[in-house]
Amino acid sequence: MASRSPSKSQKPLSPNIQLYRPQLTSVLSILNRLTGVLLSIAAIALVSWLLAAAAGQQAYAIVQGVFASWTGQVTLFGCTFAFFLHFFGGIRHLVWDTVHGFELRTIYMSGWAVVAASIVMTAVSWIVSVYMGR
Amino acid sequence: MIIESSKQVSRNHLFKRFPIPTNFGVTKDSRVNRGKAWPAPAGVTRTKSFEIYRYDPDSGRGPQVDTFEVDLDDCGPMVLDALIWIKNKVDSTLTFRRSCREGVCGSCAMNMDGTNWLACTRFISEMESPAKIYPLANMKIIKDLVPDQTHVFAQYAAIEPWLQSKTPTPERERRQSVEERGQIDGYYECILCFCCTSGCPSHWWNGNRFLGPAVLLQAWRWLTDSRDEAVEERLDKLEDPFRLYRCHTILNCTRTCPKGLNPGKAIAHIKKAMIERQR
Repeated sequence: MASRSPSKSQKPLSPNIQLYRPQLTSVLSILNRLTGVLLSIAAIALVSWLLAAAAGQQAYAIVQGVFASWTGQVTLFGCTFAFFLHFFGGIRHLVWDTVHGFELRTIYMSGWAVVAASIVMTAVSWIVSVYMGR
Repeated sequence: MIIESSKQVSRNHLFKRFPIPTNFGVTKDSRVNRGKAWPAPAGVTRTKSFEIYRYDPDSGRGPQVDTFEVDLDDCGPMVLDALIWIKNKVDSTLTFRRSCREGVCGSCAMNMDGTNWLACTRFISEMESPAKIYPLANMKIIKDLVPDQTHVFAQYAAIEPWLQSKTPTPERERRQSVEERGQIDGYYECILCFCCTSGCPSHWWNGNRFLGPAVLLQAWRWLTDSRDEAVEERLDKLEDPFRLYRCHTILNCTRTCPKGLNPGKAIAHIKKAMIERQR
């Protein structure tokens, strides 16, 4: 059927991301993606730290200075949380791959467990590292 | 908050929308503008505001959101009742699909307060004020709340949703044990309302090639049917980076299904079957 007016051929697309309500399901999914990207970048920082350590005392002191700075510490803290969120999220995905944990209640329980475990493990890592660093 | 069943409406949320502008990344034709505000009828005491997505292909204008005041004392309890009330009493051009009014046909699937559900089984009292009524997300819109489902039904046809057998047709019906029949429970009940596919971010970005949760649930419904003998051929057709594997287990599908089905689980079954047949 041929359209009678040009306006008829161009159907608008209804809103998707602009409209759809954020839910634990979608929010954890996008966070898993974002933390993955962030950790890939953080891996470069880790390698630069190791390279500096191999290169000698002066290079190591420079990189160590960056990491020990206020912004460096905040970034590292964020990376620690990102690591645990991605880590526990990954375990959740492994369980799903075995076709387990798909009841809606379980999906929400495991989702919040990932968030809680990430917060706890981030706190534990930092308490331990600050304590050991003294 | 722990959600126990897809019919539960979430009360607390950090964000009602993702923190992006309303028309972020939207083409000019799809941009939603503020529309007309219809006043409440005279002499009514109990009203509720409904913000409804409108689009008239003959108007030459783009989509807009109109505001209606619904007289709750003159209207049934469901969102569909409110839409019918508006059509009868305020604006007869308001266009939407509806048929069974009891959650069996899937015609009145739409986006209400940001999630997809059937208008006939959503209570007005469960809606926020003002209530936001949009068509199913990420669909080409024919008029108002009526989406063009040509594409999703073409995707449905692509999985050949009918019984395929190689053995000669038996004299009697093809018999199943109780267990075999139980295999399709939770999958055959799908009413093809496409709430899940429309709520799937992966289908938003790759809808041309990713089949989406509704169609993949149907695919599993035939894969797991003991009478169907085309399992290998069906899996061959699904084994594709996009058709099946664009599913990243986001699970908006399972969260939104108005029939309480589990498309996410069905897709996990298909992925597992893909691995198992390699052995």
